[in-house]
Amino acid sequence: MVVAQRISHVQLQYSHTIGRGEQFGPGFTYPIHMARGEDDLMYVLCRSSEYRPEGTRITVCTVDEEYVNAFARGVPQQGPHEYNFEDGSLVWPVNVAIASDGTVYVSDEWLHRISKFTRDGEFIGKWEENIGSGDGQLDRPAGLAVDADDNVWVVDGNNHRVQKFTPDGQFLTKFGSHGDGDGELDQPWGIDIDSQGNIYIADWRNDRIQKFSPSGDFLMKFGSSGSGDGEFNRPADVAVDRDGIIYVADWLNDRLQIFDPDGNFCGSKTGEATVSKWGKDKLDANPEMWGERERAPNLERERDFWAPTGVAVDDANRVFVCEGPRNRIQVYQKQSPMFMGPRL
Amino acid sequence: MAEQDIALMAHLMRRAGFGATYEELEARAAKGYEATVEELLNPESQPAIQDDILMRYQPQWVSKAGLEGQQEEWTYRMINTKRPLEEKIALFWHHIFCTGHAKCEYPKQQNIELDMFRTLGFGNFEELLMGLSMDPAMVFYLDNCMSHKDAINENWGRELLELFSLGVGMDGNANYSEDDVKEAARAFTGWTVTNSIPRYPYGKYEAAFIYDPSDHDYTEKTFLGETGNFNGEDIVKIVARQPAAARFVARHMYNFFVADEPQVPAWQNTPPRDPEAVKMLEDEYFRSGYDIRSMLRVLFNSDFFKNARFEKVKSPTETVVGTMRLVGDFDMPRPGLNAMTLTIRYMGQDLLNPPTVEGWHTGREWIDSGTLVERINFTADAVGDTSHRGVQAIISRLGSEGATISSERLVDGCLQLLGHYQLADVTRNELIALADSEGELRTGTDEFGTRVGQMLQSIVATTEYLFE
Repeated sequence: MVVAQRISHVQLQYSHTIGRGEQFGPGFTYPIHMARGEDDLMYVLCRSSEYRPEGTRITVCTVDEEYVNAFARGVPQQGPHEYNFEDGSLVWPVNVAIASDGTVYVSDEWLHRISKFTRDGEFIGKWEENIGSGDGQLDRPAGLAVDADDNVWVVDGNNHRVQKFTPDGQFLTKFGSHGDGDGELDQPWGIDIDSQGNIYIADWRNDRIQKFSPSGDFLMKFGSSGSGDGEFNRPADVAVDRDGIIYVADWLNDRLQIFDPDGNFCGSKTGEATVSKWGKDKLDANPEMWGERERAPNLERERDFWAPTGVAVDDANRVFVCEGPRNRIQVYQKQSPMFMGPRL
Repeated sequence: MAEQDIALMAHLMRRAGFGATYEELEARAAKGYEATVEELLNPESQPAIQDDILMRYQPQWVSKAGLEGQQEEWTYRMINTKRPLEEKIALFWHHIFCTGHAKCEYPKQQNIELDMFRTLGFGNFEELLMGLSMDPAMVFYLDNCMSHKDAINENWGRELLELFSLGVGMDGNANYSEDDVKEAARAFTGWTVTNSIPRYPYGKYEAAFIYDPSDHDYTEKTFLGETGNFNGEDIVKIVARQPAAARFVARHMYNFFVADEPQVPAWQNTPPRDPEAVKMLEDEYFRSGYDIRSMLRVLFNSDFFKNARFEKVKSPTETVVGTMRLVGDFDMPRPGLNAMTLTIRYMGQDLLNPPTVEGWHTGREWIDSGTLVERINFTADAVGDTSHRGVQAIISRLGSEGATISSERLVDGCLQLLGHYQLADVTRNELIALADSEGELRTGTDEFGTRVGQMLQSIVATTEYLFE
């Protein structure tokens, strides 16, 4: 008897690694999040430390690791209470999203600010900072997503809710409140929107993912606290591909988890990093380090994810995982379970 | 609540922690002195800091790759911990068991050492020395990874005896000989660390301690009068049972928690400031089986401790952390932490990066013309900022005492609410005269808060405020 085999796993094949630790030029400084732009461009949001603010920036490169440019620098510190909040600068940037016209949005959870740049990195405006808990006000904005109408959804972290705005920052609607019940949120972080307009939220301190309708109605939740399959330790980000497959950056479990459209666990990845092109350049410039690598035991540790905070998936089914502490992005390719031909 | 109980509690919290607000002192005094000592000695009874929140807003604290970031994190923990003695004991051992960033170049590795101090630092001294002997940061810092059976490096063997366990001598006599140093070094051959993955391109990875039996010297050694085929564990056991080890730990505890002692190099020929107190601690060391927590219990409950108020110059870390706890600043992660933390360095204490393996000289050596200015400017800026929650609490409390308060009460009230500080009569009289010169002080006015802030600034600029 012939038995049809049910496909139970989404197959992700490791592709390559992008990045190296750099404050300037080719490389990243704590890449906390990224967004895919046109022409294979990647906009990688780097959140450096307070003592090296110049490393805070958006690095633009291609998926093939060609450096393009960088913009939106961090703010040099002047004292315990003094800051220059000039337009276009970043203090605690969290998320980046790209609209259909290429406009780049960046959230900053210290400035409570949403900044806008052109696709080439020119500052073109910001939503006026309006700190608070009223409609349209933000308190530590985190995740950003642009929907099919180019409206912007903002995860309003300390207000434990999600708000929807027009591109120029006019409040449209909101959902969510503080708690752990269905539809309630606890310091949410990441967000994504699927092809149907449904909204997925990394409900960070509730250790779960929640799904909402385009009008903000609760639809589904999955996950609980822990380190087992389908459990989370502070999920930082979520991404959904064209087939509805859900990818979660399981931050303090140091892994990527994968779920089917109903939230059923499909698999996980703990990292397969290899030396990137930029990394090879750096090692070639410091050749003694090739030797040090050969002598180092357990070099395979270098493969592992460390505290991933960002996950993105593009239309080519490539999954990007941002690892801040390792200054790199690991790229995976989803394999198609559907026979595509022409050869067996 | 008797003010003398609150004053005693203020003393305890400054020494076993980093100070406390007046409201916390009242609550702790109501709980009782000995009960508070027990709470401090058992930090796991209090909630830990929520690391996920810290790392979300300060992502670099995940990687712990930079010195300044690690200094920020530790400072933040000291300011906000509900377990003050846990951080104080880590600072205590960091003062003694120094490793330095200038050589280690990987703060995460040093943070692993700090975590060891937070746990083993309350326990058995022999176990702590064993942990230290296998700590990768220390093995690298003192070159034991470069000590081989056919070519020993004496650095670790020497500092283990001189700076980490016995001291050069006591009561006018040497505690060990040059031969003991060499024999200890031979016993520790083979105690090494793994080769690390280099920092490029993805940052460093922690090293691990390993014992390499093929590089160990198995021949007989004679150490501190005992002969055998000793390995490192044997050396630690022999060290821990020496009377000099008890003296060493007791005197360091006295210097850190009770009153300023002469610097360590003088200990061979300079007797303890309070020999009876140090003897009590030495006795407890042996009675308890080298238990640090037991020694601290004796110390904090002793009369010599309770009577030693304002006998210690605050370290830069104690100055900055204590001020932040008092005024209530940096109670959540926010930008500016780096600038605040750097003031500790400018006052002379570069945490995780001491000047030498001997650590920092303490007491009056903290103060010079440059560091004094840093101290006064920092503390005066903080307590003079009437927007701080802790300063507002002081203003509110004094303001509730009536429609007006006298100049004497302004001075004494500020001293009381800062934690029962004491001033010499001449200093107090000058501050009263200063307050008099400003005219009548009406509590219901906008000027009141400003004048309280100015008086707090004047107090923290006094010589007396340098002490705790």
